[in-house]
Amino acid sequence: MVNITITPEDQNRKEKILEIHLQLFSILRDKLPPELKGQTKIQLVEGSTLKDLLIELAIDRRVAISVNDVQERDHSRTLADGDEVKIFTSVSGG
Amino acid sequence: MAHGYHGKILHVNLTAGEFAVEEPGEDFYRKYLGGSALALYYLLKDMPPGADPLEPENILVLALSVVTGASISGQSRLTAAAKSPLTGAIGDSQGGGFFPAELKNAGFDAVVVKGKSPKPVYLWIHDGEYELRDAAHIWGSITGVAEQTIREELGDKKIEVMQIGPAGENAVRFAGIFSNSNRANGRTGMGAVMGSKNLKAVAVRGKIRPSIADKTRLSTLAKWGAANLSDSDIAGLAKYGTNETTGANQNSGTLPTYNYNSGVFDGWEKIDGPTMYDTVLKGAAEGKQDREGRDTCYACTVRCKRVVEIQEGPYKVDPTYGGPEYETTSTFGSYCAIDDLAAICKANEICNQYGMDTISCGATISWAYEAFNEGKLTPEDTDGLDLSWGNAESMVKLTEKIARREGFGDLLAEGSERAAKSIGRGTEAYLITFKGQEAPAHMPRVKRSLAVIYAVNPFGADHQSHEHDPVIEDDFEYYEERLGALGFNARVETHALNREKMRFTVATQRLYSAMDSLNLCQFVYGSTWQLYGPDDIVELVQAVTGWEDFSYADIEKVGERRINMMRMFNAREGFDRRQDLIPEKLFKPLKGGASDGWKLDKDEVEGALDTYFELSGWDVKSGIPTPEKLEELGLAWIVK
Ligand code: SF4
Repeated sequence: MVNITITPEDQNRKEKILEIHLQLFSILRDKLPPELKGQTKIQLVEGSTLKDLLIELAIDRRVAISVNDVQERDHSRTLADGDEVKIFTSVSGG
Repeated sequence: MAHGYHGKILHVNLTAGEFAVEEPGEDFYRKYLGGSALALYYLLKDMPPGADPLEPENILVLALSVVTGASISGQSRLTAAAKSPLTGAIGDSQGGGFFPAELKNAGFDAVVVKGKSPKPVYLWIHDGEYELRDAAHIWGSITGVAEQTIREELGDKKIEVMQIGPAGENAVRFAGIFSNSNRANGRTGMGAVMGSKNLKAVAVRGKIRPSIADKTRLSTLAKWGAANLSDSDIAGLAKYGTNETTGANQNSGTLPTYNYNSGVFDGWEKIDGPTMYDTVLKGAAEGKQDREGRDTCYACTVRCKRVVEIQEGPYKVDPTYGGPEYETTSTFGSYCAIDDLAAICKANEICNQYGMDTISCGATISWAYEAFNEGKLTPEDTDGLDLSWGNAESMVKLTEKIARREGFGDLLAEGSERAAKSIGRGTEAYLITFKGQEAPAHMPRVKRSLAVIYAVNPFGADHQSHEHDPVIEDDFEYYEERLGALGFNARVETHALNREKMRFTVATQRLYSAMDSLNLCQFVYGSTWQLYGPDDIVELVQAVTGWEDFSYADIEKVGERRINMMRMFNAREGFDRRQDLIPEKLFKPLKGGASDGWKLDKDEVEGALDTYFELSGWDVKSGIPTPEKLEELGLAWIVK
């Protein structure tokens, strides 16, 4: 399970802290305590990207992401305070 | 000495009640590997062109591969093939469970069924012996009852039964063949063919396991898979079933909704894998769903199959009949804008009891929903049923009416294309059929190589006949190694339908085609995200058969051979490029979500088809394999 509160390493730095509403789906739910059902709020330093978020969550495989309910394929996107991020895993068949 | 297979094919002539056992040599197995390619061999050799799919001259082949029954995940699968009563083209359907491995243990690699029995019978195969037994007492029974009756009368609870339900007896054109009362060889109407032969079931049991050439190598490969499952891309599939993909499809606008008019569904979270896991899987209330609510196929460590139990409310569901796949929650769910999970599970149960393909059944119902909502059908047509979008009760009722061929259900049992022709009133515009088969829940307007594959695939729209686009688009970085080994070293632009995308389409089509001949599960084996990659398939075949010189080139060749055989079967039936059509609806824009405005472009698709045929080595104008290509593949005998 990952540490879900990402605190800036250096509290003296002047970066603003962003609060992100995170929702993890499918097997990614298991990264959070079960009672959260995949939903939590996390803090990131200003300037963090989706890629940074994935690294913090230790997600290193193919995922599908939406930010504020719009699909986002570009993982270099910079996040903003209050953003709602949803992360899905996916296979193709079925 | 043969390893992995028996070298024995059982031929059954139901008209005369006669049997023959053929023993083809190793060359035959190396050329076709089993499954679909093996089945095609008999269909092309022994069936006259122009045969009526529901008359005795049609041939039904149930075929395993050289690796079926080996102790490793994802190998217990079977091909059912015949001329399709739904499409009039080749019919081909893959399914898993325990029956395939048990048929192997009973002593045969395949069963070729010809003719028609004068009365209902079932075929009992055990330890190399075989007989036809009376099935009058189970004709008309739903699958769970017939299966139990057969096990009881033969006195062995471990007998595996593959059978048709009442829908197959009633010649519903998309009736399937079912084992375990919940595993479907669902597509292309193979159950209707079996029913037309008065063959209710095949029961198998045995202890004749073929030897394995190198047990240590096989067990090393099997253990590697088991150890790596939880850290693989299919970990979510294991826990949440194929339904785990609902959310990702919603996100990318590829969840077919309102009969393929939209790619997003507001109610998606009510019908997705995690919701099923939390609510309807057997044992969910006590947190025991991982143990009780998941099932598997023989020797498979993944355990992706769903077992649903609902004891309260209007839709009670018996766990005997498993649970819905992603395809099923989509066709009965988002296609019809229905978010009532219990109702969807009920429709799935009815399909498994009566023996119907949930894709064609749900999609045919969604065609009717669109026609009703557009005012082209009225309650007078629908036996008074209100087919407004989202009406779950009517969907469940209609599913049962189709299985029984009652009233409006009798028309829908013909499939949506025949129903639209019969009704007229412009309802053809609502079809999502390819060669007459309804499209599964993967969106060609976004994953655009699917448009080409749905169109060219000889048995109609199919989502498991090649690898879908995202692995070579946005997700390329995760699969560079496996794709590199297949000859793809750079990503392709997202949504492109260019030459490189077609090269990827043809290459992965050959791989998936070979896997349908090796009868391998496409969640466990495949090109990229699956547990095992192409090299592992080579390792598997070598370890089981002892064919040390077997290579990936052999896999490509068999895959290509099978596709050419299917195209040639269709050519004999009058099919050519003119039938490789895409329904008009897909040239109209999707509405809402990430795929808003997306549509196919006719010129672009025609160009991609040209490239596909060229890369396949076929005549570009007709889409038919050339004599040179057939010669190259050792298939010149088809036209002689
Ligand atoms: S992955 Fe699922 S469908 Fe495939 S063999 Fe295993 S249990 Fe069966």
